[in-house]
Amino acid sequence: MNRKILLMSAPVAMQPGGYVPVAYADRTTPVTAAAEIAVEPGSGGWRVTLAWACPQPVRETVRETDRFADACAVFAPEAPESPWMTMGAQGLAVQGFLWRADRPGLWAIRAEGLGTMQRSAATGTQVSADWDNGRWRVVLSLPEWPALAAQRRVALAVWRGGAQERAGLKSVSAGWVDVA
Amino acid sequence: MRYDIPKPLRQVSMVLDLNKCLGCQTCTIACKKLWNTDEGTDYSYWNSVETLPGRGFPAGVHDPATGGRTVEGGVRRGVVPNLDTAYGRAWTFNHEEARASAGAPDKIWIRPRETVKWGPNFDEDQGQGDYPKDNHYFYLPRLCNHCTHPACVDACPRAAIAKRREDGIVLVDQDRCHGYRFCVEACPYKKVYYDHVRQVSTKCIFCLPRIEEGVAPACARQCPGRLRFVGYRDDEQGPIWKLVEKWKVAIPLHPEYGLGPNVFYVPPMSPPKLDAEGRPTGEPRIPVSYLESLFGAAVHPALEALLAERARRRRGEASELMDLLIAYDWQQNFRLPPRQREVLG
Ligand code: SF4
Ligand code: SF4
Repeated sequence: MNRKILLMSAPVAMQPGGYVPVAYADRTTPVTAAAEIAVEPGSGGWRVTLAWACPQPVRETVRETDRFADACAVFAPEAPESPWMTMGAQGLAVQGFLWRADRPGLWAIRAEGLGTMQRSAATGTQVSADWDNGRWRVVLSLPEWPALAAQRRVALAVWRGGAQERAGLKSVSAGWVDVA
Repeated sequence: MRYDIPKPLRQVSMVLDLNKCLGCQTCTIACKKLWNTDEGTDYSYWNSVETLPGRGFPAGVHDPATGGRTVEGGVRRGVVPNLDTAYGRAWTFNHEEARASAGAPDKIWIRPRETVKWGPNFDEDQGQGDYPKDNHYFYLPRLCNHCTHPACVDACPRAAIAKRREDGIVLVDQDRCHGYRFCVEACPYKKVYYDHVRQVSTKCIFCLPRIEEGVAPACARQCPGRLRFVGYRDDEQGPIWKLVEKWKVAIPLHPEYGLGPNVFYVPPMSPPKLDAEGRPTGEPRIPVSYLESLFGAAVHPALEALLAERARRRRGEASELMDLLIAYDWQQNFRLPPRQREVLG
């Protein structure tokens, strides 16, 4: 499977707290319009490839206060009803992997709603990321992923650091993407 | 979805009398040495002291365009200050190079390796006006205001910042923080700092381990100017209540943002301007309109009360307010009953 996915701007009105929904109310068009995704069975697990256009990558953030790194995430529902838009809900988690350009490895992520994401070191994973000719290409080599194996669906998110994107300021798939 | 921020049982508070600040930075160093020596917080000062009129720390902090609040108290997008142009990088110096040149005919002076663009109290003692007619400046020590309606709490999508129930101290839970910096952006006082190594937010904790034991924060306790008062806002026998509620001479910085700061300032009185012949005009050197831009309209009655009580004292009459501000007995500046005391065995 290698698909082009049109992305949407994650709705800021849903973001927790009183600040982000108002301060970023103008963020209605996605900063990253589309991404390509390939999800393939790998050796004892999965290989996920994400690629998207990014004119000016941000890879370094250390020793700066106002710089945000490029990032992407892919996640799957733990239950058939787990909502994608809110990153899951209580008792209906989503789980997956987060890559950030200023870090060497991947984070394993799990969330039960906006603002609840837990990050932990993703053991048994590998990642390679290349930026070339205005595009990021990130290849995630993942171990067994029971949620994906069971639900056969993923969602994805892309953050462009140069546009101050982080947290709920992101471009996301407009729903679950079926994995064959 | 706004958060419901429960009212704390009590609110700890500080009053700073700007008429007495020497700009010595003892408070800044006391705080920095106690809490902020990590590599990623090298540039940050939970307590800073800036010369005003001036650009402040970080540069532009008094410009309404930098904070996440409008001057009517609404939400607007703020700015995350830049390390070079707003905070000032913690510079490194060419000590070895300078030392190696000690015996050489061409000596190399010690200088920062980085291009210097700004730093804490960078415009020290510059102020405004023309000597000797109306030159003026004063020092403004600043720390987190532990606001009643904290913009930082409101800004965090992870609910990683909270106001303590016991005393209203605003704290970052660094285990929850993911370093998104909406709090840095939203706080109009720019009193949340980003640890760029650990990638989490940090801020003044009002020396809470000391508060719990009934000891004033390090910045207040070590202030040689004896200008800081610490206590609880509801303690009618304490200095905070007397200065804020009874005498109404202690007022918050930038009340227009609507955050309800719990740090208050006694505004600075100033000597008179001189006329062309060098005679005092009766007009204060620090323009009251400038003080109003910092402290709002409440600065007018506060200054009137201060001047009236000072005149009363000069006439030899008693003045509770002046006695309090003079701080004859410095220990009386702090009224902090210990809530718990750790006894080390
Ligand atoms: S001064 Fe800023 S950091 Fe401190 S409580 Fe208020 S909004 Fe938060
Ligand atoms: S220690 Fe006191 S006198 Fe010195 S700068 Fe701080 S507040 Fe002012």
